[in-house]
Amino acid sequence: MNTMTFGHTKVQGRHGEFAIEAKGLVKRFKSGKNYVEVLKGVDFDARHGDLTMVMGPSGSGKSTLIAALSGLLKPEAGRVDALDMDDMWSFSSGKIDKFRLDHCGFIFQGFNLFPSLSALQQVTTVLKFQGLTPDQAKKRATLALEEVGLGHRLHQRPAALSGGEKQRVAIARALAKDPQILFADEPTSALDGENGQIVIKLLRRAATEHGAAVICVTHDPRLEAWADRVIHIEDGVIIDDQRRTPNPDAVLASH
Amino acid sequence: MSLALSTLLFEWRRYMAAVMALALSGLLVLAMTGVFIGIGKGFTAQIERSAADVIIMQPGAKSLIGGPSGVPRRFIPLAYNHPAVVEVQPLDGAGGTFQSIKEVDPTRSQAERAKQGAPRQKFVQSSIIDTTPGSVTIPTDYSRELVDALRQPYTVAVDETALTTLGVKLGDKALYNGQTVTVVGVTRGYPNMMQPGVVMSRDTLRMVGQADTGPRVGPLMIKLRDPSQSKIVATQLNAMGNGQWKAWTRQELADANAGAMFEEGILVIIIGGCMVLGIIIGVAITWQTLRGAIMANIKEFASLRALGVGMGSLRRIVMELSFWVGVVGVAAAIGLTWLLSLFALSKAVIIALPLPLLIVVGGGLIAIAMLSGFLSMGILKKSQPADLLR
Repeated sequence: MNTMTFGHTKVQGRHGEFAIEAKGLVKRFKSGKNYVEVLKGVDFDARHGDLTMVMGPSGSGKSTLIAALSGLLKPEAGRVDALDMDDMWSFSSGKIDKFRLDHCGFIFQGFNLFPSLSALQQVTTVLKFQGLTPDQAKKRATLALEEVGLGHRLHQRPAALSGGEKQRVAIARALAKDPQILFADEPTSALDGENGQIVIKLLRRAATEHGAAVICVTHDPRLEAWADRVIHIEDGVIIDDQRRTPNPDAVLASH
Repeated sequence: MSLALSTLLFEWRRYMAAVMALALSGLLVLAMTGVFIGIGKGFTAQIERSAADVIIMQPGAKSLIGGPSGVPRRFIPLAYNHPAVVEVQPLDGAGGTFQSIKEVDPTRSQAERAKQGAPRQKFVQSSIIDTTPGSVTIPTDYSRELVDALRQPYTVAVDETALTTLGVKLGDKALYNGQTVTVVGVTRGYPNMMQPGVVMSRDTLRMVGQADTGPRVGPLMIKLRDPSQSKIVATQLNAMGNGQWKAWTRQELADANAGAMFEEGILVIIIGGCMVLGIIIGVAITWQTLRGAIMANIKEFASLRALGVGMGSLRRIVMELSFWVGVVGVAAAIGLTWLLSLFALSKAVIIALPLPLLIVVGGGLIAIAMLSGFLSMGILKKSQPADLLR
């Protein structure tokens, strides 16, 4: 097999193999004169093909966890191994950026789309930074947008799209890169039930069909039905970690 | 279309302040410089639009306006020695008082006559043409009728922009140095904001007693058999002159005339001041506008950073954006200055916009925009993708 192995995590991992592994993550924030410890020595891992749900109340440290895992926020202590990158935080920020460009997708609660770009351009802009030619980028972007059901909205700007459609563009932007790791932060909380269901199904499909390790932070318990694994975090400590059988046909009741 | 360009086009209102700041900075410098070049052009239009392909002046002359330009009369036959030369005429001209004539009813009281306004007296610059058809001293845009009219003794032509200043109209009689002349022609396109001018024939100038009759004459205007050869012939004439004179092509002289204005210290200070002001205003406003505009899209930039697009690429986007802002600013500056120049022309003020000036100012504006972009890059540090995670 053409896999490159460093430690446990692999780039071209099969379903069930480790994509990301973190040990002893500690993150503190300054609050006035005191430090607040948001992550208190968290161990975490996620596997290829899994939809891993990280749940917890606000302020529990779940967003900080994925910021540390994805190379956006340096923890005070602990190490992160992601794919072929052993101890990510020992690399320069340029290397970490490159790693994210090559392997990671991101979906945020706010959609963060450029108001001036059409749906197609939102996706191709990122692909061009990956080094694709404009033609290749356009082809890949069109496929990604068709996959999220926006084949007919390619040339609409964000202002002409509904909230659900915007989030689908953001998902297409993340998926078009064909990422091995997909981070999602509260992807459904700005959406109604119907659109939330479309979005969570797309995340489910990214894990099942593309073999990506999908790490989804949410406080919406109804999303659990789609997850392979649910991790509860509270006050910077993982208090519960269970595997479960996802139900791809679950229905998200409308709000 | 790139992200930078489509952002600029889509959110043009956001960038309008920067574009206008650049346009006004450009307008300030272009209009100031243009006016000064235009003042020079007012004095030299007559020769720059003449049929002279080559002009001979003193070796030390730096332009038509500055330095010794006249030559000894004996140079005229010497210039004819070149086989390509078909006509040589000395440029001549003088200055005098010009006074409009008012018909006054002698039975009126002093007060009523005062109400009518006194006849105006002005100092004018007079330039001459030879009225032989096709003569080298006739500007190429003069009509045959105008030349025919000026052939009559004691006749003058006045530019349309000087009519009010001089208080005359076509067909009026006036006093030139105390002698009666008739305004038989009105020219268009010869404004001179410093001093009004009149055009007369060389013969009229002689009749009013101001023609060069001595051993020295003005610069020699030379017509060639083949105007396209002017550069070569000028070189050959210089060789023939053996250092006694300097032959210029018309274009060389026009360029030197335009440049001559900027040897005046005060003009350099005024224009330099405008430039400094323009740069400060341009940079300050453009910088702040770009900062604000980047800040408005900071979350989108942060999401690109999350997807792995490096800081360097984001900086390039900002630089490209400021380049395009600069390009639009240049277009706006040139457009505004052009409109202003049209307005100025109607008031007899020439704002000359030669291509090199446009290129220098345009390049400067783009540099200002890029500098502003460079300064506003610091704001990109706020594009922390971690802030997008809540």
